Order: sequence, then structure tokens, then C-alpha cells
Amino acid sequence: MNQNITFLLNNSAVTAVLNPAAVTLDFLRSCKLTGAKEGCKEGDCGACTVICGTMENDKVIYRTVNSCLVPVMNIHGSHIVTIEGLNLNNSQLSPVQSAFLSEGAAQCGFCTPGFIVSLTAFFLSSGNLKNNNILDFIDGNVCRCTGHSSIIRAAVNIKKEIGNAPDEFEKRLLYLINKNIIPEYFLTVKEKLTELYVDPTDNNNSDMPDYYVGGGTDLFVQKPDEMLSSDLSFIFKRNTADNVFEDDGYCCLRSSSTVTDILESALLKNIFPGITDFSELFGSTPIRNNATVGGNINNASPIGDMTAFFLALDSDVILTSDKSERAVSLKDYFVSYKKTVRSRGEIIKFIRFKIPKKNFFINFEKVSKRTYLDIASVNTAIYIEYENERISKINISAGGVFETPKFLSLASEFLTGKKINAEVIKEAVRIADAEISPISDARGSESYKRLLLSRLIYTHFIKLFPELIDIKETV
Amino acid sequence: MKDYDIIQHITGKSLFIDDVNVPDGTLYAKVFYSKCAHGKILSLDLSEACSIKGVIKIFTYKDIPGINQIGGIVRDECLLAENEVHFIGMPVALIIAESKFIASEASKKIVIKYEELPVITDPREAFAKGQLSIPPRIFESGNVNNVWDKCDVIESGTCESGGQEHLYLETQGAVSYPLEGGSIKVISSTQGPSAVQKVVSEVLGISKNKVEVEVTRLGGGFGGKEDQASPWAALCALAAFLLNKPVKLILSRHDDMVMTGKRNPYSSDFKIGLNSEGMILAYEVTFFQNSGASADLSPAILDRSLFHCTNSYYIPNVKAIGYCCRTNLAPNTAFRGFGGPQGKFVIECAVYKAALKINIPPDIIQKKNLIKENDHFHYGQKAVNVMSGKSWDKAEMDFGLQKEIKKIRQFNSVNSLYKKGYAYMPICFGIAFTNTRMNQANALVNVYTDGSVGFSTAAVEMGQGVNAKIREVISRVFSISHDKIKNEPTNTTRSANTSPTAASSGADMNCNAVLTACNNILERLLNSAADDLGLINSEGLIIKDEKVFLNNKDTGLTWGIIVENANSKRISLCDYAHYATPDLFFDRVTNKGNPFRYHVYGTAFIEVTVDCLRGIYRIDSVKAVHDFGHSLNPVIDLGQAEGALMQGLGWMTIEEIIHDKKGRLLTDLLSTYKVPDLHFTPAEVIIKFLNEPNPVGIFNSKAIGEPPLMYGIGAYFAIMNAVREFNPDASPEFSAPFTPEKVLLKLYENTFAKDLHSPALSISDNKSN
Repeated sequence: MNQNITFLLNNSAVTAVLNPAAVTLDFLRSCKLTGAKEGCKEGDCGACTVICGTMENDKVIYRTVNSCLVPVMNIHGSHIVTIEGLNLNNSQLSPVQSAFLSEGAAQCGFCTPGFIVSLTAFFLSSGNLKNNNILDFIDGNVCRCTGHSSIIRAAVNIKKEIGNAPDEFEKRLLYLINKNIIPEYFLTVKEKLTELYVDPTDNNNSDMPDYYVGGGTDLFVQKPDEMLSSDLSFIFKRNTADNVFEDDGYCCLRSSSTVTDILESALLKNIFPGITDFSELFGSTPIRNNATVGGNINNASPIGDMTAFFLALDSDVILTSDKSERAVSLKDYFVSYKKTVRSRGEIIKFIRFKIPKKNFFINFEKVSKRTYLDIASVNTAIYIEYENERISKINISAGGVFETPKFLSLASEFLTGKKINAEVIKEAVRIADAEISPISDARGSESYKRLLLSRLIYTHFIKLFPELIDIKETV
Repeated sequence: MKDYDIIQHITGKSLFIDDVNVPDGTLYAKVFYSKCAHGKILSLDLSEACSIKGVIKIFTYKDIPGINQIGGIVRDECLLAENEVHFIGMPVALIIAESKFIASEASKKIVIKYEELPVITDPREAFAKGQLSIPPRIFESGNVNNVWDKCDVIESGTCESGGQEHLYLETQGAVSYPLEGGSIKVISSTQGPSAVQKVVSEVLGISKNKVEVEVTRLGGGFGGKEDQASPWAALCALAAFLLNKPVKLILSRHDDMVMTGKRNPYSSDFKIGLNSEGMILAYEVTFFQNSGASADLSPAILDRSLFHCTNSYYIPNVKAIGYCCRTNLAPNTAFRGFGGPQGKFVIECAVYKAALKINIPPDIIQKKNLIKENDHFHYGQKAVNVMSGKSWDKAEMDFGLQKEIKKIRQFNSVNSLYKKGYAYMPICFGIAFTNTRMNQANALVNVYTDGSVGFSTAAVEMGQGVNAKIREVISRVFSISHDKIKNEPTNTTRSANTSPTAASSGADMNCNAVLTACNNILERLLNSAADDLGLINSEGLIIKDEKVFLNNKDTGLTWGIIVENANSKRISLCDYAHYATPDLFFDRVTNKGNPFRYHVYGTAFIEVTVDCLRGIYRIDSVKAVHDFGHSLNPVIDLGQAEGALMQGLGWMTIEEIIHDKKGRLLTDLLSTYKVPDLHFTPAEVIIKFLNEPNPVGIFNSKAIGEPPLMYGIGAYFAIMNAVREFNPDASPEFSAPFTPEKVLLKLYENTFAKDLHSPALSISDNKSN
């Protein structure tokens, strides 16, 4: 089952016969490129961060990935940039490296290459540098020595020094090369990637696989060894512009849409202008670049963040197989702990929800031990249509409080048609509490999760309707 | 300033233990460990695992040629379990295979059966059942029992502080290969090369001179690799020695978290007595230290808790009792602060509770009782060059703290969804190993005939910048540029019988040894130069920027010339020097003496905001005035202070170690154990240098590694204050870390909101949601 994997590794094309489920980090380190480190092998530390470039509309889109979770199949035909590929020829330091030197932003040095790579990716990213926050690009990197203060100073200084690079791709590259942010060979990458063009259908995919592999951010955390000997179908499509589309009043998200795709989708931003505020709570930048909607839903974790969000939007899952296609309401998708209605050979084609009309409110709340890059203790999303001072429609979802992602149907039903005031919400909270059955674990005790969900339901209303309910009425 | 190490780091060229080039044919090791916290091993079946293709050998304790004993302070720890297991994660067997993957597959095929025995995870339960690793330790000064009557206010209570995972980003590991003549080399990620050498020599049953241990650098240590790098090095060496092949053993993150010990959790009782003016008259404290399954460094850690149980305060009557309680958890061990943080947390809880009773802010009591010049610590040492008051006053003044406090009060009066809280946190930390014997180091300095310099010391580089500081010393003494100076890996054949790089003392001791070696070389070089110049002696000769001056006049000689000339005259260009920290003594019977070379002081002010709806919080700001002495390298020292502070904040807030009743670690991955990340870093961290000279420090500097961690303790009380702003009925309980869970439960303690749910339940073992 080994197969040819071809990609551009820094400045050279590489072809190797590999198990497609081997992770990129292991391959890089076997090539003696030891700048990327194994810190946790679950995408939680960022020491293995590399940049992955793929061709899209005649330009190379660069994004950071946790190389410990990316199967080599998913880098087939891409440009992989490691710290070694960022070093300039003449032992000169790049401005990112120099800033680390002058701020003393590296101590033991183990996490450092990951930080340098992530910060360099900020400049390579397609976004407008002025509007983007450079610190967001290192939200997946953890340093245990510095306490991050010196790293933050270094990052802020670099951004100041480099200023605003042009948005246009070729001009951006030239500008960055001129500023020594990246070596000159980056100019030839587009050509080289075109040369080594690999057929995206050339993936040996099985029709009845044990697993469909998306971005790998969960499967390769949970069972990396099992992946090596399983029958897999790789379905990840990076940076596909039409991953999110509108169809007959529905907003549809292809299964392989990443969180980043969602964040960058003009359609979703138009529907939910505040979506960025929620989605930053999902994983980290490199995780968001790989984690897919389909994976998040199919993983069926009771605390899937995207799941909670789409549950409140009353979404449908469109399942497809050779034989048929069917739509299942997300509310009915989860059967029991980590079990769904999907049968073997079926795959999520896309999920969809009705694009809401006017007078709607939406909110997502997530509380975890650490606010960012952490799994929720409890999460919840709410969708409200509000007319004539009454709730005309409401969906509340909750994660971390039941064996599956939970649609709070009784509480939602109770609130339908009601006015919003403290007494009503208090009753809804009581009803919600009877709908859930959280367990005590590393993310919190049962009593905490119960209290937390109740407070987060109040939070939805206090945040959305501050004039109608006051925190003092809730204690 | 060009720093060699940091340039390697930022270009990704630094070699860590897993990056070291290994010889062809290297085998890979994996440790099979106990899944039972306490039990008898009834059977161990290796046959299926051994039959897997690519498995070379599986070793058990029976294969050990020397002794199966690695305990340092107390001889109570096996390298590989014999007939009993004492914690989940205790090594039982060592699998050697052609690849990491095969070794890992084989470990799943080992079949072990246990007879389960009762499991203890709580130190108080261990104490009640007489499970103590060492006899109780008691430090006493004055007589508390005579004073309680005279106190106007007496408060007592209990408090808990949790464990802490080191989370060095580089996991534990070693590479070992046989040398000729029955010798063995071990490349280890250890803070204590001599400790590794000792364990390896005993386990293999060969003399120490046959064991060469080398360390280039560590990807973080924080105390976790002081004693606990040794088992992995010893297992790796055992396989290499017995198979006569190179072997590599790198722990996965999960295995590392399960098998290695953490900061000792403490459960403590306190009683504090004050007079009506807020002066502390008496303090009594009992520490129940959770040592885990063997003593490891816990007895020494416990001593430091006793030394630092009064933090920065002068208290005339003190009684401190420490119990080192054996439980069925992985042996807990050194972690930055080494018992100091645990000791200080308790006195701060006591002060807080007393302040509540008197109804004054705790900082009034804190400030009033700060130790002053010539006061005596409860262990008999006189306090000299005291910086507690100075740092406090400078913090008040420079940061305008009274104004800050007003702003906080103002914020709280107009906000109901968010509340702010603040706390002061003074610190005082003694510098030296409290085991006097360990306060020694050595250094080899080689000047080569081209004028370049190499040095090798007992110090292990782990990101604390000790090599940069040593380069600074060499550069100052020889007046040559840093570029000319290179460090060699720490190696037991060059630096023998050394102490681990720990106790914040690595730079102090090794710089001093280097200083002596450099001065010896310099003296010879200047004498030689004097000879070249036809002078009677070297008086008036100095080197400045690599040129030789006589009474400030350029002689035309340069560093390069005098080095070359000296060698041609067969004068040694190399020197080896030893340093023993002077004036240390301590009587372990009376527990009095002069255990520390000096103390490090400072004061921090911490401000937090609690989100009263969600129970989450932000540390907004930490401002501190820290006693660095005259810093040898301000960039490094600031980085150490900021990093230590963050670890202290993490320990007090989100870093939570959870075990279930069966002794299983539930927070065994980075997805369940959360350390501070970028977003957690306070928006404002300002650390000012007090900049007072340290007369006994090298070039007037002070040690930096551990002390600033303890500023983090203030976060606990700042959060508590914010919570009580929202819910004045919240009782002051002391159980660190103050996780978002505990904050939410406190915010709604004694309110109807909490009546909603059913009472607490036990931790579930199964699926997680």
C-alpha cells in the first residue's frame, strides 16, 4: 500500500515511496531535517510547524500546518517549507530571526523553529498584513521557557519593521525576498510546483475504506498507529474556493471545508458578520488550516465546536454513497457516544443550513480551562428569531454535557413564543438542566458543567439582549 | 551581543537529544510500564511481544548486572519493578527493537497480571497510615506556644497546592553506545550528568570512570531532569551495554507525562497570630507533602518549604513541621522553586485570612512584616543586604500602585459583569543548595594558540543562558570578544563529581570556577608578556579589547601575540579550577545555620479581571521590581524572570494535575494539561531591575532561575479578591490552582444559581465528553 509521494521540500523536489498515512514530521526528520521537533504529536505545541504551499488560481497559497498530524498523502504535490528552507544562504539572519536574537526570544530553543516558521508564514499569507494580527499566527505555538513576553515583543517589532507588503502575490514575494524574510528560491516555486503537478485523483483511494481522512487533525491524534495499517480514503482538498457556496436559499459547506475556509468565506461573513469572534476559539491557526467540517461532525465528539454551532443553525447533513444520497438533520445525526447514523461507504458531501432572514440573533459560547487552543468544558450556540418582543424561533445547542452534541429541544421549545426576561430564562435553564447528563472528567466535574451551561445560557441572553436581562437578576 | 546558542536555535540547527546523529544500526527502546498503581506482579508474559519481527530483546530487572536501585537521597526506588508495582507508569520492562514503531507495537503485546493492593493518592491518608519516606522535619524558632495568648488575632486553616507538570518541550531521552574496554557512553538530556553517571555505573556494575556522560543542551528542564533523567539514561545504557549496540530511548509525550514525577502537591495546616497593629507574632505550619511512590528529591524539597515557610516576613516565633508522605503516584520531584513556592503559598493564605478577619487589605500586613536588615530568619541566618522593603517601596512609587488600586475600585463600582482584583506578592528566596556538600562546581578553560578559547564546565545549558554568562565572564577577564569563545558540551570526563545544574546556582558557581581558571591563565599570560617586554613583573599590564596596555599605554602586544609567545615558552594556556561556595554551614539536628550564600528579593503587583458570567479570567498585568543584583546579561535575566513568572502564574491558575482514585493520571496529554499560551500572557508584564549590587555575587550579580516564579502566587489572591467583589459571601478557601471551574463555583457559592444541580460526583474512568 505504499505509494509515490512527490512534493517540493524547501528548494528541491522530492519523491519517496511511503505509507500514505505516515506523518510529515516523521518523514522530514528521517531526511535529517531536524528543525521541526516532536513536542507532543497531537497538534498542541507547534514545535513541528511547517508551511504548506498549494497552487490555487495561479498562485501559491501558504498556510501553516502541524507536520505531526499531516499524513504525507495530504502534502502530495505541495510545497513544504521547514526552518531549514527559511535560512538565507550567506548565514545572514532573516528579520524574524534577528528580532528573536535581539529580544532574547529563544531560551531552550526547542520551540523556536516552530515560532520562526509561523511568524514567517504571517508574511507569506494571502491576507492583508495591515489588518491581520501577527500574534494570531503563533496561536498554535507554545513556549515553556519565555512566558511569551519576549516573543510577543519580537513579533510586534518584526511587523513594524517589515511594514505592509503588497497584496498581489508576485509583488508580495519580491518584497519579502527584498526584505530577507524569505530566500530567493521562493520565486521559482510556482514553476516547480507546476512541473511536478500530480493528479489529485491519483490517491489509490479505496471505495469502502475503514476511514475517510480529511485534514487528519483528529484521526492522527487519536490513532496514528492504526492509520498506518488501515484502508484509507484521502479526501482533503486544500484551499478550494468554492468550499462554501449558496444554493437555493441554503448555505452549503463541503465536507472538506476547513475552519479557515469558513473564516475566509465572504458568504458566511455576510450572513454572520461576527463569525470571526467565535471561530478563533476553534483550535489554533494550523489546526484551523486543516480541521474540516466533515471531520469535526463525523468525529462525533460531544464537544465538537463546529458541531455545536451548526446544530443551532438547524443544519442538515447530506450523505452520499455510490448508490444514494440522503439528507439527515444534524439533530438526528448522532446516535450515541461517538456514533452517528452514517454507514460504511457513506460520506458527508456537504452540510447546509437555511440562510436566515432578518431579525435573527446568533451567539456561540465556549469555556475551557485555557481560552485558546483548548477543548471546551462546555460549549453552546444559540439561534434566535425575535419579532414583536417575542421569541418566534429558537435553537439552543450544547456540547460537553451529554454523550453526543446536544440539541436542547425542550428548553428551545419552552422559549418559543416567550418574552425575554429573567424569570423566563431561569425556567429555561432549569429545563435545560434536566435535558443533560454530563460526566466528571479532566474537563470538569459534573456539577461544574451543569452550573456552567446554565451560566452560558444566561450569557447568550445577557450578551444579545442586555437591556432585557441583568446579571443581578440571575443569582 | 551575539549569542552562539540562540543563533543555532533560530536557524533550527541546535541538536537536541532526538536530533543527535546516531550510528548505523542503532536500536530503539520503549519502556513498558505498570498500569496498576499498587500491586503484586503475578505474572509477566513477554513471549508474544518477543516473537514480533524486529524485536531484539525485552529486558526486565533480572537482566540488570549491577544493582536495581536508583534512589538518590533514600534507597527506595527500583529501576525496573521486581515483584511489586507502586505507581502507574513504573517501568517494568524495556523493549528493544529495530524501530520505534515495532517497539511500540511489541509493548501492546506484553501480558501482565497484578494482584491489586490498596491505592493511596492523598498525602494526609498516607500520613495517617504511617507512610513516611523520612522522619518528620521540624524547624523552630522562638516558642509559638508561649505567644498565642498574647495575640489579638488568631486565624487557622488548611490549604492545598496542586502538582505541576514540567512540560519541558523536549521529552526525556538518551542515546547510549558501547566504547572499548567495557566502557559506555551516554548522551543524556539531564541537568545532572554526574547523577546519571552514578546511576549508570551502579546499574551496570562498573566503575564510574567507565561511564562517560555527555550533555550538549536540554530542551527545557525546570527541575524535571535533575534526578529524573537518570532512569531513562540508565535503561538506555543497560540495553547498549548488554547488547553491545547503540540504543536510543526517547519518551513520547504521553509516556513522559505518565512515568515522570511533577511538582509535589502539598496539603497544609496553618495557624497565625498577630497583634492589633498587624504584626505577626507567631506562625505554625504543617506540610503534608505528596512525595509519590519514592522519595526522589522530596526530602530536600520539603526542607526548602521549611526554609521558605515565612516568605519575606520576619516572624519571631515559628514552628514548621514537614511530612514527606509516600503515595502511589509517580515520584514527585524538583520543579523550579523546589518547595519554596509550596511553602510561600501557605503563609500568603494565612496572611490573607488574617487580613479578612481584621478587615484590612492583606498588603498592610504584608508590608508591615517584611524582613529587615539584621533580622534573623527562623533557621538562624542573619538577613543582610535585605531588599524586601526597597523593592516594595520602589514598586509602590514607580508603578503608582495606589492610583492603580483606585482605578480598580472605580472599575468595580460601575461594572457588574466583570470584576477586577489585585494582590501584592513579595518574595525572598535563598541561594545555594541547602545540602551544603552540593555547592561545588568546576571548570576547564583552554586557550588555543590562535587565541580562541574553549570552556567546559559542570553547568548544563537548558535555555537559562548559563553559557552566555560564562562567556561574559571570560570575555571580561581576557577582554576578548564573545566570538572567540566557544562552549563544549558538559561531559563527565572533563567535569567530574559535579552537582546538577539546579537551585538557581548554576551560573553563580560555574562562573566562579571559570573566573578562577581565567585569572590563573591571565596571570601566567601577563607574566609572560612582562617577560616579552623586559619588565620585572606584570604590574600595570592589562588587556583591553585584545590589546596589551602598560599603564594605559599600548605596548603593541595583542592577545594573539601573548598567547602564541606564552606557548612557545612552554607556559600553560589552560586551567582547571574548582569552586566551593564559601561560608555555608547548616546543622541538620538543630536546623540552624547559614545555609544560603545570599537571598533574592522582590515585589510584584498583580491585577486580574474575572468574567462573572462565565467564570473565566484574565491576568491583566504583572508589575514587579526584582532584585537582579548587577545583571551579567539583562536580556537573559529579564527572559528568566518573565518565564519563571509565567510558570508561577500557570501553577496558580490553569495548570491542573488530576488523578482518579485508582492513581491514574487523567491529565496525561497536552490536550488535557494546559500551560499558559500566548493569549494567556498578561497584556502588561513590566519587570524593573532594582539594580543594587550583590557584594558576594560574581560581578555583583544575583541568581535568577527560580525566585520570580513565586510572584505568580499573587494571582491566586487577586482572583479571590475579584470573585469576592462579585460574591462577598464566597468563603476564602485555599485550593490552588484556581481553575475556571473553581472560580465559577466560588462566584455562585451560596446563591440560588448553584442549587440547580445535583451534588458532586466521582470522576468517571470511561469516555470523556
